[in-house]
Formats: sequence, C-alpha cells, structure tokens
Amino acid sequence: MSNRKQSASSKAPSAKARGRSRSAERTDGAKRDSMQVIASGQGEFLAPDPDGFRRFIRDNKVRNEVDKRMSAQEAVQRFVQDGNYITLDGNMGYRGPNLLLREVIRQRKRDLWVAAGPGTNEIPLLVAAGCVSRVDVGWMDPSPVIQYAMREGRLKVVEWSNGGLSYRHLAGAMGVPFLPVRFLGGSGAFEHSGAKLIKDPFTGENLVLVPAINPDVALIHVHQSDRFGNCRVFGPGFAPAEKAGSAKRVIISTEEIIEPAEIRRLPGLTTIPHYIVDAVVHAPFGAYPGGMPGMYHGDGEHMGDLAAAQRSRRDSGLLEKFLEKWIYSVASDEEMLEKHVERETLSEMRTSNISEAFGV
Amino acid sequence: MIDDTITFTDTEALAVQGARLMESGRSYFIAAGGPPALAVILGKRLYAPDLIYSYGDGAIDPQPDYPPRRTTTPYTRSAAFGSMNNPRFQATAGYMDYAALEAIQVDQFGNFNTSMIGTDYERPRRRFGGAGGANEMASCCWRTILVLRLEERRLVPQVDFITSPGFLDGSPRARERAGLPADTGPYRVITDQAIFGFEEKSHRMELLAVGSWTSAEAVIGKMEFEPLVAKDLKVLEQPTLVELWSLRTEIDPGGRALAGFSQDFQVARGGWISPDTSATGSLAL
Repeated sequence: MSNRKQSASSKAPSAKARGRSRSAERTDGAKRDSMQVIASGQGEFLAPDPDGFRRFIRDNKVRNEVDKRMSAQEAVQRFVQDGNYITLDGNMGYRGPNLLLREVIRQRKRDLWVAAGPGTNEIPLLVAAGCVSRVDVGWMDPSPVIQYAMREGRLKVVEWSNGGLSYRHLAGAMGVPFLPVRFLGGSGAFEHSGAKLIKDPFTGENLVLVPAINPDVALIHVHQSDRFGNCRVFGPGFAPAEKAGSAKRVIISTEEIIEPAEIRRLPGLTTIPHYIVDAVVHAPFGAYPGGMPGMYHGDGEHMGDLAAAQRSRRDSGLLEKFLEKWIYSVASDEEMLEKHVERETLSEMRTSNISEAFGV
Repeated sequence: MIDDTITFTDTEALAVQGARLMESGRSYFIAAGGPPALAVILGKRLYAPDLIYSYGDGAIDPQPDYPPRRTTTPYTRSAAFGSMNNPRFQATAGYMDYAALEAIQVDQFGNFNTSMIGTDYERPRRRFGGAGGANEMASCCWRTILVLRLEERRLVPQVDFITSPGFLDGSPRARERAGLPADTGPYRVITDQAIFGFEEKSHRMELLAVGSWTSAEAVIGKMEFEPLVAKDLKVLEQPTLVELWSLRTEIDPGGRALAGFSQDFQVARGGWISPDTSATGSLAL
C-alpha cells in the first residue's frame, strides 16, 4: 500500500522542480512567476494523479444510461475493496450513508482510509469494527474507541479541516491536482496535513495549496434517484456533488426511486448526473439511525445506545453487542429494521415527505 | 423574605456574555450547536435582530423559530442551501464578518486548539474532534470570537496543538506570511467570568472586562499566563432574568444544545446537535 501514499517531505515529486521547469517555458521570465514552495505539511496523503484519474474514468465509467439498481450487498462487494480510500457524505446523525456503512462493516472490509469531514459516531463505529486504519479529519466523534485505537497505534489520524477536505474533493472533482485555499496556513493542521505553502505567482503573497483527492469510493445517501443514478439531494449541506465527482466509484443509496422522466422534467434539481454513479441502492430509511431532511428524524434511542456503547469501558462488551445485534446478526438493513425497530418507532420518526417539504 | 438570587450555569453565562456583543447588520459564520451558536441566536433575538448567520455545512442565513420547532429540515427559512464549500467561498471572498467558535485551549495570541492534548501527535493523551470548520472560519472571517469556560489549563502560554490560527507568533503580518487573508484575526475571547481582546501592536491577549461577581485577580489566577490588562477595565453584569428566560424558553428549551443526543437532537435552529463531545468537553479522560 505504501506506493500509493506519500509523505510530503520525502516521496513527493518536487513541486519546486516542477515549478521551475514550468516557469522556464514561459516567455516573460519575471522572477515572481516561479512558484516556490516555502513549507510543506508532513501528513500522509494520496498523491494527486489527475491523469490517472482521467484514464480510470475513460476506461471504467459507463456514459449512457443503464440500470444500476442493485442490493447494498452487491454494491459494496463489487466496489469497496480492502485498503480503499472511502469518502462519506453526511454522517451518522444527518443524511449519512448509514445503511451502506453497515454493509461495509458486515462484509468486514479492512484497512480503509476514510475522510471524516464532518464525521460523527460512524467513525468510531468503523474503527471499533476493525474496518478503518486511517482517518482524515475534519471532525469526528473522539469517543474512547478513538482514544484507545490511537494509543495502540491501530489508527492514524491526518489533520485537515472540514473545508480542507471539501476543497480537496472539489479539486478532485475538477480534475486538477490541487487548489489554493486561504486557510490552514500557520496551524498544526497545516503541519500535520499534506498542504503546501507557496509564493503565489500572481499576487506575490504566500498561499496555501491543498492536494486533490480522488477517493476509491464515495458512499452517498440521497432523497431520490432514477434507476440510472440521476439523483437529487434536498436540504442543506455537505458536498455530495464534489464527493461523487471526485471518486472513482460512487455508490448511491436512495430513499426513493423515481422515473427518469421526472428527472428530465426538472433537471435543475439533479445533484449528481447518472454517468458519475456506479450503483443505485434502494434504501428507505437508509440514513437510519440518523435523520433525513424533510422525511424523518433520527432514532434517539438507537443513537443513545450507540453513544453509550462507544463511551463504555472496553471490557464491558457493549460495543461488540451493539455490532452483533445491529449488523452482524442480520443479513441486511431490511432484516435489521424488521427485527429490531418497532414499526411505531419508524412511523414516529416520519415527519413529512419530499413533496411536502421541498415542493416537488 | 423573597429570595431574589439568580442562578445560571457556565454555559448560560457564556451564551449571554456572547449575545451582548452581537452586532446588527453583521454576518456570523458558526458551527452547529454549543455556546457560540446559542450566543449568536440569543443575540439576534434580543440585541441584534438584523445579524445574519450561516452554518459550516452550507445553510445560509436561516431564520430561527422561537422556540425551535422540531423538524427534519433544519435551518428553517434559510436564504439558501448550498454545498459546504459555498459559505467557505463566501468567507474567503470577505462576506463573513465574524467567526464564533468554541475552543479547548487558547494561547496568548489567540491560537486555539480543538484537536488534542499531549505532546505526541500520533499518541495523544486525549484526542478531540479536530478543526471541524473552525480553521477556515478563524482564517477567513474578518474577526474571530472564541468562547470557552474560564478554568485552569484553558488559557495557556502555548496550546498543545494549533488547530486554528490566531495571531500565530504575534509578530506583524504573521498571518499573511502563513497564507491567510490580510486584516483578519482574533477579536474577543469570551469566558463565563471575563472578556478579553487583543492589543493592537503586540497581538497579546488583554483583559477587557471582569464579572461583577469576581475580580481581575481571581480571573488571572485561573490563567496560565499574565494577560495585559486594559486601563479602563469594564464590569460585566451577570445574566438578567430576561436573558435567561429567553435562553431557557425561546432559544434552547430543555438545554438540548448541550444535553447530548435525545429524540430532539435535530432542532429547528440547526442541524444535528452532536453528542456530548463538544470542543469544550472535559479535559480529563
């Protein structure tokens, strides 16, 4: 795995050298045109490879509309591999791809590197289940699971910020190797990330660059999708378009499957177009136990149990019991909801529907 | 005899002192939940109705209900919903006047920590959540307001980890040299017992106001460094009944903002309220 990572200081192709050769091609030759690297963060990151990403897209993504509906089990089996970098939109509390994450845990994927920006309880849950060995933060719920895993060297954390990560996805989705940002500079989050400080050739001022990220897989829960993956996200927040656009493989789980004609009727509402998407999983209550804007509240009891398990002493066995009950002992989310969640709870969670909440 | 003692919690004091500093016609960039959000929304309700605020995850200028309705479409009546990149673009372009943020530790130059306690980054004594959106907010908003409880080990000469920048080493143009926008930086540090600013030239923290119920000596006694002290030290009045009533019944009924997960963890004013792991959580493991 080490060949696909780089520590900014050692293995990175020298941006300084690249800058020099690039400025040599210029005709104006002005001195401030050279893009000098002043400082580099020491955190680990995947080396940006925009041409590699383009080739992957050329060779692997289906352009025309094809039916991509499949089960969560099949989607995760096909598109999530051990050692992958995965990115999530939303989190355990709010429009997170929680059904898909349970499937990742159920299939006991290993050595994943995950972008947590902004994450919550799903990060310690993935760590507790042994799926994740690296986290880019962002933000995560730093429950005792995280404390133990870091102390024992089972978890590596790379410091960014929510914005650092969302700009990195934006760069990845734009097909460029980096983006300038006007934050991170001067902080420990700079030193422990893979950002670089350069002299901006246009203004002559110092400027921070963040490397693009092209995750192996994006897991995104949406309100509506047609069978081809044209999908709609309503309500505020996160970065579904950037995360999907930057990833090699995109698994969508959706509350509702809608007709393609409906997508074509109101194309301005499409968050992600079909050719970016690899799998469409029909997943009512797919954000359970979190809430879904306009549709349902979170299940406070489940969230409370999870939080308690994550904060419990390690020898209490509560986390293992939690994983066994909600994930390992059932074959799917359908079975989980059937067995463990009262129908009343689900109907109490329901608040409104998409047309009522969002006028479509 | 009628007992006219007013009782309030640290969090309420933080929210009230913050609320009194809010300015109409200004924009605030905030994280969901916690004392800074309470301060901004209470300030909008009582003192600065024309302030606008936006959340780090992409909701622009919501209009809260008083009290908050239980809803799954948080951020009621927002002007716009966008990607989380949108408010960051706007902060970078200069639209966001104030960041209002929590901190675990703040140093004398206003650098602050929400990442870790300890000396070894790989094996911290205590790991915290991370920057969230604080780094970009504290970098790109014109002014940063920090909110934390005044207690030992919070206000320190050097933070264990600079998650988000203040004036860095305090030298002139240190922020610009680090790549941050010009003319930005920390503005106030609000605690439950005192308020600090930053001296213009040295960028060092300066005690500006002290609670009427305590003293400058007592405040400084809880700090790990000597702050500058303003010549005209102001007095902070304790929260009034009106402020506490508004906070308890209109802004945060039931204290849910800090109560951890409950059935109502998504409330009208915003997003999810995360479990009890907010940045100002206990320093003890």
